[in-house]
Amino acid sequence: MDTFLIDGQSVTFEPGENILQAALEADIQIPHFCYHAALGSLGACRLCAVEINPKDSDKNARVVMACLEPAQKGLEVSLSAAAAQQVRRHVIELLMINHPHDCPICDEGGECHLQEMTVACGPSYRRYRGNKRTFPNQDLGPLIHHEMNRCITCYRCTRFYQDYALGNDLGAMRLRNEVYFGRFQDGPLENPFAGNLVEICPTGVFTDAVFRQHFARTWDLKTAPSICPHCSVGCNTLPGARDGTLRRVRNRAHQELNRWFICDRGRYGHQYSEHNTRPLSPRVSGINTDYRSALAAAARKIQAAAERTGGIGSVREDLEGNVMLRSLLNDLKGIFTAFNDPELEAATLTAVSRMQELDNTPHLAALEQIDAALITGDLTVHAPMIDLALRQAWRNGAKLAMLHSSVAPLTQFASTAATVAPREIHDMLTQLYRQISRQPETNDAVTQTIKTIAATLSQARQPLMAGVVETSTAQDIIALAELAKAFEPAAQLIYVLPGPNAYGAALLSAAGDTVSLLKAVERGEVQTLIVAGSDPFSEPRSGARWRVARQKINTLIVLDCIATATAEAADILIPVAAWPERSGTFVNYEGRAQGFSTVFHRPEYLPSTADIISEISRLLENQLCDAASMLQDSFPGFQAPTPGTPGVQISAQHLPIRNNELMQTEPYSSDNGWQAALTSWLGDEPLAGFSPALTELAPPDTALINPESAARASLKSGSSVRLWNSVYSVETCVQINPSVANETIAIPRSMLVRLGIGHGDSLNLEQLV
Amino acid sequence: MLKKPTPSYQSRHGTGLLRSLWTVLRHAFTKRDTIPYPDVKRPLPARWRGRIVLTRDPDGEERCVACYLCSAVCPVDCIHLQSRQLDEGRRYPETFTIDFSRCIFCGFCEEACPTLAIQLTPDFEMCEKHHASLVYDKQQLLIDGQGKHPGYNFYRRAGVAIAGKAIGEAECDTPPVDRDSNLP
Repeated sequence: MDTFLIDGQSVTFEPGENILQAALEADIQIPHFCYHAALGSLGACRLCAVEINPKDSDKNARVVMACLEPAQKGLEVSLSAAAAQQVRRHVIELLMINHPHDCPICDEGGECHLQEMTVACGPSYRRYRGNKRTFPNQDLGPLIHHEMNRCITCYRCTRFYQDYALGNDLGAMRLRNEVYFGRFQDGPLENPFAGNLVEICPTGVFTDAVFRQHFARTWDLKTAPSICPHCSVGCNTLPGARDGTLRRVRNRAHQELNRWFICDRGRYGHQYSEHNTRPLSPRVSGINTDYRSALAAAARKIQAAAERTGGIGSVREDLEGNVMLRSLLNDLKGIFTAFNDPELEAATLTAVSRMQELDNTPHLAALEQIDAALITGDLTVHAPMIDLALRQAWRNGAKLAMLHSSVAPLTQFASTAATVAPREIHDMLTQLYRQISRQPETNDAVTQTIKTIAATLSQARQPLMAGVVETSTAQDIIALAELAKAFEPAAQLIYVLPGPNAYGAALLSAAGDTVSLLKAVERGEVQTLIVAGSDPFSEPRSGARWRVARQKINTLIVLDCIATATAEAADILIPVAAWPERSGTFVNYEGRAQGFSTVFHRPEYLPSTADIISEISRLLENQLCDAASMLQDSFPGFQAPTPGTPGVQISAQHLPIRNNELMQTEPYSSDNGWQAALTSWLGDEPLAGFSPALTELAPPDTALINPESAARASLKSGSSVRLWNSVYSVETCVQINPSVANETIAIPRSMLVRLGIGHGDSLNLEQLV
Repeated sequence: MLKKPTPSYQSRHGTGLLRSLWTVLRHAFTKRDTIPYPDVKRPLPARWRGRIVLTRDPDGEERCVACYLCSAVCPVDCIHLQSRQLDEGRRYPETFTIDFSRCIFCGFCEEACPTLAIQLTPDFEMCEKHHASLVYDKQQLLIDGQGKHPGYNFYRRAGVAIAGKAIGEAECDTPPVDRDSNLP
């Protein structure tokens, strides 16, 4: 590898790197503002000035920008040369001419790049005595606070927002020394990654509006490595807490997953742990009590029920909590499942087994390198960071093909996008498979869309198949996996799973246990039901069944950190620690086990789920071992990964590959009526649903219908309708949306729950006059 | 071997005694250095580092903007505060406590304070019977005056907008740029 010299120190570089990149990699701090590893060089700020000594002794040394000067072998660079120092000093002095006297009240203070650079290179006093230029601020919504006076025109915000996150509602306006970064009009930033502006802005123009409400300086925050609990990607985060309350969540770089950025749900969803409805003291039959008596009451009920006990783990419960609950149920000979819905269980288990079989699930950094993808469903909501990685792939020239039933923001970058009704996705994938394996049936009318998608995927060097488990059936998942197999070994396969630990939950579940448990509860065979970190009552498809079956349960014991519908209905409610308040392990969509550690303790005593179950088993005189040895039994050789490390691939026995017997429920009726589809938005997740800043941005609850279907049913935008199935009905109004498939009504999760139906189920519509 | 006293010493012995008696007698009529505290209190210099107060700006508003610099610089960690923000933009400390049983009156907080809010005063008479009574809260710290630095108002110089001062109305600001126009 070639080297060059910086102030006499030898620095190695890769071909194509510039001086600044090479220096930063060698941990030599050249002052800079506008350069960012994800955004590259721009040369706007002029701060990274360095002097280059000429090889020719009769030429003068020249000052260049380190971010624009390619590194060359044998180059002699000087950071400390007087000329370079003077340039940097002048740049800072000029930037400070208009910088307001805000540091004491600026949230960036203490972690401000401009403060650091001013201390490092600039003059200590402002010589200029003239007045300062000022800008009006904009209202950018509940997540980001705008203070435009502090801007130093480095263009990082628009380069991130427009070029990297591909948003289009933030840009540079005006000219000269009056360049303004903002929206065309006041209003919340629309991009789901807008929160990263807080971290990417080198000064305090964009600051965290949620953190601002309970502000603390960075040096007062208690931090520890954590994992985001809001989707199955498993982004690494750094929560900050003070005085026993969680104040903010920041990105923590993981070389293969989230490198510099996290999504807004990860950044702002943490407010659930400070929500005023959060259960903080145990409750037995509606009366607040202490842990000792609540656990004793729970143990008594479990002892009385013995083998008539059931247990529901959760896809958002850590590996330790799930494995302890499973062991307790094994000891009692009761039924354990980690899922609330039989179909979701089938879909998740199928997805995990297929990913294990194909063994080619890319991490986010690898995703950016793919050149074609077939995406079914809405990745932006279910796994925002996978969406961001695919946006980078699109920037690199990848062709994206999308099949979706409802709104999916990624379609704006798709080369081919087709709206497909939920029940027709399987047919579509099968046709695609036939087209690719060149066995089209003669009577198959192959549409142009399928031909285009097949051509795109066939020409690709490395095609990706991506599916969303929550809006797919097990059959759709098998079809997508078969498609990926057709391209083996190049093809990559990703399924977005329904929770941060859905992979781990699937490894601990046996197929069919959810339906057995649900049926046992409905038959009254379960006296005591333990629910750990789950909310079966708010499940779209089976929630209604659980709510009815609740009457047959003698005692419902709920362990959770949020006030879910199930927790509200509990006979014994045992609050547990939220994720930053405990340590544990999540397994992400790749099967990567990552540890998270306790960031802080609240003033209240809040144990983890695993601790509570181990205490209950002690009261039952069952003596379960600790979670670590239980995990060793389930996954031989498993060592809980140290928080802050990249994580380890979980080595588990592959789940059995099943094809048809997984479909537990009866097939869809073949009527040609309306189908329900799930339409969700960024905050549509159990934990983030308790974050007031995010829920403020929730779209109105309406039924989305596409223009053609609406015209056929003579519906207009704003028409009041009644949606009903066999038992329940809701009234809402119609909104016309072309992103919805034909004969499909896209409704939010809350409405699906009230109707007791799931994505793809039949639905009736009646217009109200 | 003991050294014998010299004859000169012996000769001065008598006068020396008289001189001491004279000195004592003379001191009996000079002004006393000892002050009968607490009946008489010694005037303290204005820069004496005693009891800490939070002052107000000339408009009567709290000067403290809860920047946390005093609590960061405090070598004994005796200052604790939590910032809050009014809807109109002004920052203030929601809680502000100083544990005077820990405070070493070093004055670093006063030096660090960017808004001249926290000031040390020439008062040291703070004895209490109970330890907890030495933890002063904001109500006990906040005084009605401007203290040693009359006339200074941080918000008149800062760039943020507060009630009664929009963007561009600070002492050294130009009127705000119209972002919707491209005219020079």
